[in-house]
Amino acid sequence: MLKNHLSTIIITAIFTYAAIIASIQFRQMHKPEKLYPSESLTRVGMLSDYFDGIKGTEGDTEVYIYDSGLPGGTAFIGGGVHPNEAAGYLAPVVIMENIKVIKGRVIIIPRLNNSAFTCSDPMEGFPTHYEIKTPGGSRKFRLGSRVTNPLHQWPDPLVFAQYPSGQQLSGFETRNINRTYPGRPNGNLSERVAYAIVELIKKENVNIAFDIHESSPEVPIVNVIVYHEDDEDLAMNAILGLEFAGLQFSPELSPKNFHGLSHREWGDYTDAIPFLMETSNPSMGRLRGKTNVELVLKGKSENYKKAKEFGALRIAYRDAEGEPMEHRVGRHITGFIELINAYNMNYPDKTIEVADLPAYEELMENGVGKYLHN
Amino acid sequence: MKKESLTIAILLAVIVSTSTIKAQMYEQPILISSAGQSADVKLVKMLAQRQQLEANTVLMAKASDLEGIKTLLIVPGFSSKGLGAAGVSQQEEYDRVEALIKVAKDLKIPIITVHIGGNVRRKGQSDAFNTLIADNSKGMIVVRQADEDGFFSDLAKKNNIPLTLVDKIVEVGEPMGNLFK
Repeated sequence: MLKNHLSTIIITAIFTYAAIIASIQFRQMHKPEKLYPSESLTRVGMLSDYFDGIKGTEGDTEVYIYDSGLPGGTAFIGGGVHPNEAAGYLAPVVIMENIKVIKGRVIIIPRLNNSAFTCSDPMEGFPTHYEIKTPGGSRKFRLGSRVTNPLHQWPDPLVFAQYPSGQQLSGFETRNINRTYPGRPNGNLSERVAYAIVELIKKENVNIAFDIHESSPEVPIVNVIVYHEDDEDLAMNAILGLEFAGLQFSPELSPKNFHGLSHREWGDYTDAIPFLMETSNPSMGRLRGKTNVELVLKGKSENYKKAKEFGALRIAYRDAEGEPMEHRVGRHITGFIELINAYNMNYPDKTIEVADLPAYEELMENGVGKYLHN
Repeated sequence: MKKESLTIAILLAVIVSTSTIKAQMYEQPILISSAGQSADVKLVKMLAQRQQLEANTVLMAKASDLEGIKTLLIVPGFSSKGLGAAGVSQQEEYDRVEALIKVAKDLKIPIITVHIGGNVRRKGQSDAFNTLIADNSKGMIVVRQADEDGFFSDLAKKNNIPLTLVDKIVEVGEPMGNLFK
């Protein structure tokens, strides 16, 4: 009897083994990589501490709190709301692994959309990970999707009616956290995560908040700082400060009638002054061609070189250097520093002092890896 | 002798024309406005403040805002976010700027172009605004990156107006201040 079915049993066992291995590997994609916060870290919490409606869901995520113990203001840095924007995640990681907070507090969430780190955008051919060499060895980082994993939030409506504005957007935008602010406690997963983020900003009395992004080289909203009308001078002072540092950022005013975005709703629904920064990432553009890790890290594309020659680009795409990761991370970190400096000038009674962050020139010279720890 | 006289006459003509440009004094108060609603106008406002210029900034300036104004300084550059914030379409913005220019010219208020947005405020929807302003300006100050293809240099030549190119936005303040000294 056993002899008759031996081949069936063996084949079934092989397939079962292969399925188990494959499922373990697949599940590993959902496991966040280990991060190494600097010694200034005082506490790690969860986003669900601010709204328990996301507890136990894939939307819950770590909150890293750096408290100097000295009175001052509170800065919030949100990264990874769009995990396909590599520097939008890596810049906050470099900040959290190096920052020294001398005065006030800094709160960092590197994975604002934790769920979106567990999948890729379909039909885009994106690599799932990229590796960066560090002095202590190689570190692997997840490259995710722009929107919440459909396994965690499904189905999409045909038309997404943004809450509470009623603004209508494409159905899949219901999974884009940066279209769902201020969120709602009884909404879908993305709306509940957005609600939790707004609750954090309110409960922690955040004074200045950063949302870190990347965009395609050919779109107009690139290499910009988007600001809320409440503190225009602060944005302008920072942009001029960045000019002195040799980095050009264009100012963009947050439109009052474009709802759901951090630069609009964080400003409208909380007391924080919000800023959204965008760098230029050729791996995200429609003209990019072959999409691989090299393009994500080096940001160098023959197609973009040609596009520049044809006059199709509106950014200063640099033929020789491209838009490498260290340049993009450097722009974000310098932007953060200059905005904090401008904030400190305007609000001397609630200053935030930070140190030990790599300068743009250092990142360009040494690469990002030197500032990632093991 | 005839040749010498001719040379002297040419030299004098050159000196006169050069001094006309150099002595081109613009008067204050200034109205700073946008063409395309990019937030670059806010940076120019800040640079004007640093130069202690007597300037009023009105993003959506209309004919009535020109009352008492001696110089109109326009910052061209298209911004979808800016137009969204202002609640106007690109065509409505273009029509507004065109009407403003017409009134300024009727009132003999000189217009100066200040373009600081680099490549981001070039081509696409921006160049219609850039051309409209440059074609009606008495002079231009431009951050060099926007002139990589000679766009503003060509407009300056075509319209026979002076063009000052600077490398950085922060360098715009000085030539802008000098216009009024």
